[in-house]
Amino acid sequence: MSTSFNKRNLINLDLFTDAYRVTGRASVGMGGIHAELGNPNSKYLELQDAYISRIHTPGDIVANYQIAAFRKDNINFIVLQDRREGIPVGTQHGRSIFTRGRSIPIFLTVPSFEIVGEAMHEGKFSAREILVQSMGSFQLIFAAKASASVYPDISYSGDLILVHKDRIGIFCLDNNKQ
Amino acid sequence: MARIFVIDDDEQLLRMVGLMLERGGHNITLINNPLEGLEQIKADKPDLLVLDVMMPNMSGHDLTREIRGDANIEDLPILVLTARSQEVDRTTALKSGADDYLSKPVTSQELMERVDNLLAKKGGQSSPETGIIITTFGMRGGVGQTTLAVNLAAALRRASQQEVCLVDLSPSGGQAVMHMRLQARSSWLDLPAEKELDWAVLKNRLIIHPSGLRVLAAPAKPQDPSSISGERVQYILNLLKHHVAFTVVDAPHVYTPAFLQAVTMADMGLHVITPEVVSVQTAVQLNRLLNKAGIQVKRKSHILNQHTPEAQLPQAAVERGLNNKVAFQISYDVNQARAIAQGVPLTLTSAKSGLPNVVRRMAEAIWQRVSTKSL
Repeated sequence: MSTSFNKRNLINLDLFTDAYRVTGRASVGMGGIHAELGNPNSKYLELQDAYISRIHTPGDIVANYQIAAFRKDNINFIVLQDRREGIPVGTQHGRSIFTRGRSIPIFLTVPSFEIVGEAMHEGKFSAREILVQSMGSFQLIFAAKASASVYPDISYSGDLILVHKDRIGIFCLDNNKQ
Repeated sequence: MARIFVIDDDEQLLRMVGLMLERGGHNITLINNPLEGLEQIKADKPDLLVLDVMMPNMSGHDLTREIRGDANIEDLPILVLTARSQEVDRTTALKSGADDYLSKPVTSQELMERVDNLLAKKGGQSSPETGIIITTFGMRGGVGQTTLAVNLAAALRRASQQEVCLVDLSPSGGQAVMHMRLQARSSWLDLPAEKELDWAVLKNRLIIHPSGLRVLAAPAKPQDPSSISGERVQYILNLLKHHVAFTVVDAPHVYTPAFLQAVTMADMGLHVITPEVVSVQTAVQLNRLLNKAGIQVKRKSHILNQHTPEAQLPQAAVERGLNNKVAFQISYDVNQARAIAQGVPLTLTSAKSGLPNVVRRMAEAIWQRVSTKSL
């Protein structure tokens, strides 16, 4: 039996910029969407079959195109319904931060949205480490919910939300709650 | 069998959804363009529409609004099936006029449940207030009793689109699941004690066939006939009676408390015999025994199943022996052995041979009487 390390899959996701929601499919490898976003060789992300809605009318589709392209810096966050599509295949079983780490409740804001959920971490967890010291541009928030700041009735839930660290305004955590 | 249109621009998903619905016994039309779909709906007026949201040219929401705005097709039940899985997407779908909403990926079971609910609502069909129990029984094995139970349950499911459960009470190894090529994850033997056994627990232990038929399997290995008591059977059948429109019980071939409970609780008893001397004699003895015990099987019918190419006795001789009329005669069906080997009940195929024809007729007659409250 051979293992293909360059196998790619299409995953469904919701991607949010400042004022728009884009639903589409991204091509990801074994590292999931987190690895694509963290790839230092590319600032570019592409979605196939993209359907675009405004944040204040998120159910209505205003446009659709075969390809929607993004500069990763301008993505606020991405919502996935299944965490297995977001993290590397090898970390989903056995000994990894995702299976052995503790979950820490967090609250953060990005433009137009508030996000609550849980971060997974081993050892002492600090906001400084998350925001400026850790590797990668996107923070993983599990069992997360993003609510529109000015339209509180509008919210998006996901098994995993990946938040661009540079877009985080407020970041709060409670190390004592687990 | 309902005529269902499926509209989705993704050909692969379209085929997959079509296959799921086809296995549920429906007549499917697959359309990959919403504008063409609208025209076809206007022309053909299907029974139900399964609709994607994200499609080029016209979104599923826009198509729904078009349908609701057209007096000729405004009543069409619409099930939205989309990869947009947020609460806001559900709300938008319902606001635009859809009747129900499912997010992808979807399981065959989820899809069939929603489709059946919508079809039942459309037909204005309501489930009977309490379910109907139909027990197939007989003391002689190998007469096609399980075949009848499996096919009748499948045909009832198809005819009524209601919840139907098949209960295999055989202690001699699970047979019903083999007729449907199902894996018995659990059986009546594994059910928890009665204080922990409610409908939610029991429902979770039922196996679901792609047609939507639920099955309470018998244990895979032969058991002591006393491993299921009469009280246990009564408890299980009572639960089913209150939550399932039809329960078809395949009673054990041994005269145990479980057997007696299954025939006593039946709203309709189907005594299965074959046109051979031993089968008729066994049936006569059983009828005497039940009479002696004061057990009246409600709406009892004798079903004469010719399971071999040659009949040993003509129907008239069987009726003389029984001192009773045969309600249904099933002629020898050459397809039946292959159906068992393939694990597909004949009533779910397009076969128009003896067994499926008679059993479909039985199911339709039962459903007709139940839906008009004359049973």
